[in-house]
Amino acid sequence: MKFQIEEVTVYFPYDNIYPEQYTYMVELKRALDAKGHCLLEMPTGTGKTIALLSLITSYALAKTESPIKLIYCTRTVHEMEKTLAELKFLHNYQVKHLGAAAKMLAIGLSSRKNLCVNPKVSSAENRDSVDAACRKLTASWVRSMAAENPNQPTCEFYENYDRAAGGAVLPAGVYTLEDLRAFGKEKGWCPYFLARHMVQFANVVVYSYQYLLDPKVAGIISKEMQKESVVVFDEAHNIDNVCIEALSVSVRRQTLEGAIRNISRIENEIDRFKDIDAGRLRAEYNRLVEGLALRGDLSASDAWLANPALPDDILRQAVPGNIRRAEHFLHVLRRLVQYLKVKLDTDKVEKESPVSFVASINSDAGIDQKALKFCYDRLHSLLMTLEITDTDEFLHIQTICDFATLVGTYARGFSIIIEPFDERMPLIPDPVLQVSSLSLSLSLSLSLSLSLSPLCMLCLCCHDASLAIKPVFDRFQSVVITSGTLSPIDLYPRLLNFHPVVSRSFKMSLTRDCICPMVLTRGSDQLPVSTKFDMRSDPGVVRNYGKLLVEMVSIVPDGIVCFFVSYSYMDGIINSWNESGILKDIMQHKLVFIETQDVVETTLALDNYRRACDCGRGAVFFSVARGKVAEGIDFDRHYGRLVIMFGVPFQYTESKILRARLEYLRDTFQIKEGDFLTFDALIDVMNIELTDRNLNQRQAAQCVGRVIRSKADYGMMIFADKRYSRHDKRSKLPGWILSHLRDANLNLSTDMALHIAREFLRKMAQPYEKTGSTTGRKTLLSQEDVEKLGNNGAQEMLY
Amino acid sequence: MNNSEKKRMNGEAEEENEEDVEDEGRDAWERTYTDERSWEALEEDESGLLQPIDNKAIYHSQYRRRLQSLSATSAASRIQKGLIRFLCVVVDLSKAAGEMDFKPSRMAVIAKHVEAFIREFFDQNPLSQIGLVIIKDGVAQSLTELGGSPEAHIKALMGKLGCAGDSSLQNALELVHDTLHKIPSYGHREVLILYSALSTCDPGDIMETIQKCKKAKLRCSVIGLSAEMFVCKHLCQETGGSYMVALDEGHFKELLLEHAPPPPALAEFAIANLIKMGFPQRAAEGSIAICSCHREAKVGEGYICPRCKARVCELPTECRFCGLTLVSSPHLARSYHHLFPIEPFTEVSARQLELSRVASKTCFSCRESLLTPGTNKAGPCAACTKCKQYFCLDCDIYIHESLHNCPGCESRRITPAAASVTMS
Repeated sequence: MKFQIEEVTVYFPYDNIYPEQYTYMVELKRALDAKGHCLLEMPTGTGKTIALLSLITSYALAKTESPIKLIYCTRTVHEMEKTLAELKFLHNYQVKHLGAAAKMLAIGLSSRKNLCVNPKVSSAENRDSVDAACRKLTASWVRSMAAENPNQPTCEFYENYDRAAGGAVLPAGVYTLEDLRAFGKEKGWCPYFLARHMVQFANVVVYSYQYLLDPKVAGIISKEMQKESVVVFDEAHNIDNVCIEALSVSVRRQTLEGAIRNISRIENEIDRFKDIDAGRLRAEYNRLVEGLALRGDLSASDAWLANPALPDDILRQAVPGNIRRAEHFLHVLRRLVQYLKVKLDTDKVEKESPVSFVASINSDAGIDQKALKFCYDRLHSLLMTLEITDTDEFLHIQTICDFATLVGTYARGFSIIIEPFDERMPLIPDPVLQVSSLSLSLSLSLSLSLSLSPLCMLCLCCHDASLAIKPVFDRFQSVVITSGTLSPIDLYPRLLNFHPVVSRSFKMSLTRDCICPMVLTRGSDQLPVSTKFDMRSDPGVVRNYGKLLVEMVSIVPDGIVCFFVSYSYMDGIINSWNESGILKDIMQHKLVFIETQDVVETTLALDNYRRACDCGRGAVFFSVARGKVAEGIDFDRHYGRLVIMFGVPFQYTESKILRARLEYLRDTFQIKEGDFLTFDALIDVMNIELTDRNLNQRQAAQCVGRVIRSKADYGMMIFADKRYSRHDKRSKLPGWILSHLRDANLNLSTDMALHIAREFLRKMAQPYEKTGSTTGRKTLLSQEDVEKLGNNGAQEMLY
Repeated sequence: MNNSEKKRMNGEAEEENEEDVEDEGRDAWERTYTDERSWEALEEDESGLLQPIDNKAIYHSQYRRRLQSLSATSAASRIQKGLIRFLCVVVDLSKAAGEMDFKPSRMAVIAKHVEAFIREFFDQNPLSQIGLVIIKDGVAQSLTELGGSPEAHIKALMGKLGCAGDSSLQNALELVHDTLHKIPSYGHREVLILYSALSTCDPGDIMETIQKCKKAKLRCSVIGLSAEMFVCKHLCQETGGSYMVALDEGHFKELLLEHAPPPPALAEFAIANLIKMGFPQRAAEGSIAICSCHREAKVGEGYICPRCKARVCELPTECRFCGLTLVSSPHLARSYHHLFPIEPFTEVSARQLELSRVASKTCFSCRESLLTPGTNKAGPCAACTKCKQYFCLDCDIYIHESLHNCPGCESRRITPAAASVTMS
């Protein structure tokens, strides 16, 4: 359908539109008009992505005099593919209506691992080794060597691409990663370099957060983006963590050992070069005297990782004298590593500010701040000079230099924390525990393996999320931060330190109450349940939790997902359930699958979980609220009819890193610790809910029916902790969940919850009316409705 | 229950006995209201006034909805209906059937309504046959072979009530498939599963079995008793059946009875087929013959196969010896109306009725006045689209659900022109 929002004609590829999508577009358009940043919260499953894409591309079409470029950042490759598929659908629709005028170029950019078509290279197992393998074939010196020596292997795709030079362009269209690979294969051009080249010309670029936020990557990839760009961060509820991670470095003992190995290897290389080609080192020295800015003329295939500090903070100065010569630089590194090693040999937790840390390095190891600051670039230049291509071998020393540069550059917003052991599990004699005696028709062995907590870690933590994102806000005209959960919406501008022109939260319009949140505060014996520290090991609480699950598995069909607050708590509770026979009772009704920290194992478990749900056997999945493994997996439809959250997943508050961050937030932004913790915990819970109700569309080929089908989905959530009934915790839940949380469901005991669940499931199983015309709540707007809306002003009709 | 307690408490105080009696009296007086639950027949309107609920109107609107949905499926063109149905009713008697959320238990409720269903089914589909299958302890067993006698099925089911163990949908489907796939091609193969459990413990891959059923053109429908299960939904979608979940006992009954009228024929079956049938004669009173179904000598009360002269006890059935399908002509006639349903009547509002030129304002079939008694205002009624006669709501339901003929159309004098059309 096609409609007007003020002066912009919006092309929307479906026949009907949800009212919240429409208002979302109106708000977004206002932000674009104002050339400002905005913050929009809308529940997943309402078609956020298509609303965004369709408005922004239509906006670009309408304002031909100043074309805007869309930079769309996603968290995962999977989301990237989904976005591109949706964009393709939209583009086809626009071309159908507008003809050639709607032509645009949209590409997805990902790492070499996802784009490489050279069979020899792409077979490598991880990202770093693919990168290294590629460099081995395409580095400029390798190629010049190949020119003389035909036996030297090179990458034919890159050679072809290079030969085509300016002629290598992508015709207009939408390219998913798969399309890019296919195109590359057909033409014989390297898709990775082609895509990187085309990023400057494309109207729409879809890539990962890191390409904008991580200065190491952003310096290379996103350098040439124009100012008139709209940057969208989708699923941005933990964007602050991404920002922080981009500027944080952690050093372990293994890293240091690896670094020492690397240093000796570099030393050998230097000796070798001295024998063969002493002039080369000499030339490098001269170049360094003139300053590092010379890096700019490196060919694209040599560009590697840029400086980890932000572009504004890099000094345009010559490298200090004491690290210009390769040997001297190596000495400095060696001393640095030695110093860190001594630091790590402590048995108590230490926290230092960067300033005092730098001072003590200066006095103990004799390295001044300026030398530290240049470490990364100096190393980079050295590796280049030494023509080292197996870069994946040198990750350790890179980490060290990364650390040195950041510590040398920033005095504020960081702290250095040395943790000799992980406090959560100081004494775990045998962390591997096998519960394999229990197996039912689908073979299931639960191995609760905890990876041995890495002993001794030195962390340079960034506490200020606004540091990394600041250049993005400064550089681009509009930045859109959007997600299913951004509540409380006023906290984000403070955390990220920017001023949005629009910040709004949208509700989901539903024809029926398809989500049923419940807060369970008491067990069937009326005793309170909680995972509060003083209560969590109480056998009564454990038993009540067990009873709740046993009852629920007998009345909820198909899949149930349970979230626990931490791995150690989950292990403990499953153990005691096993001893008291509760686990066996559960297995009478459903199979049990458990998330572990092993990715392969968990993937297998999830796969079997889905199969068990599909074939009607029913299954329970035990997961951890902050577990990284199950993150981003959809527990939609029958894969998650019920989600039980046992406890409130606060971050581990005794963690030094978190403490330091809270302190910083309190001092700098006046954000109360409790506020942030609750916010953080609930964001996490909601995340789960989202992935659960993540009605997020997997299918590329979609039709309006699909969207409706996702609204036809239903599910229940049980928050099993007495603390959820408190207003200050509850009010941090996003509005669209709160609106379904009736007062009657706030303070339930197990049997009341059972009763509600039974009724709810029966009610939801009734045939579903799509448009909601009979219930009087209109949830799908047709073309005429939207036109009417445009005339009357959207607000009145909606709420 | 409080009374005995009260009495005990009041026992010491003899002088209060009088009041006690009065209490009793008031209780009894109250009890009549409790039995009637008359307050439930009231509802608040938007201004807070109490209004009696018009049960009749609600009932009628429910019926209209049912009728609309029925005619909507067969509206566009005349849809072929499968009149000769072979239905397997699968009753899940696993542990979950013992749950008490339906009173007294799911099992008892199922049994009660299956009995009613079987009678209704044979009433509406005299040419069809039913077989009963139960699931218990993870295995499926056939309770009765396909047959046309309601009594036999009901008796078998009542004798087997009792639940235990897990449920297995796959085993049931396999068994039903084996039973039904040898049915001749003119018969419609249907499965109706009454499923209490929320999971299925299967020996193999149920998806394969579902595909097998789809290939064998079994139309599988499921009525769930607790919640929606993905695999049931999948089964019904694949095989073209319907999947419903019962809210309460009344709803369950309604859902079950929806399966009594024949469903539209599947496209694959919609080829014209000639079926050989025999119309047996009723055996003479007092004649003695060996009955082919019971294998013993019986006196009178039987039918004789026109081809092989064997005696059978009841119709419709298949002759044991020559395999001829034996029916009686009333059976055929009763099945006939499914093919030519009367079109749903249009609703006439009170205002339209007042404006209409019909003088009498009475129902055409029962001659009751259409005006609401007392107020003398016109109440709601319905009109036939063909003969334009008015009917009261009761007659509307009666005509569509039992009579299957419109008295207005039937009693119209056939004009010569119309007659010639019908003649040709």
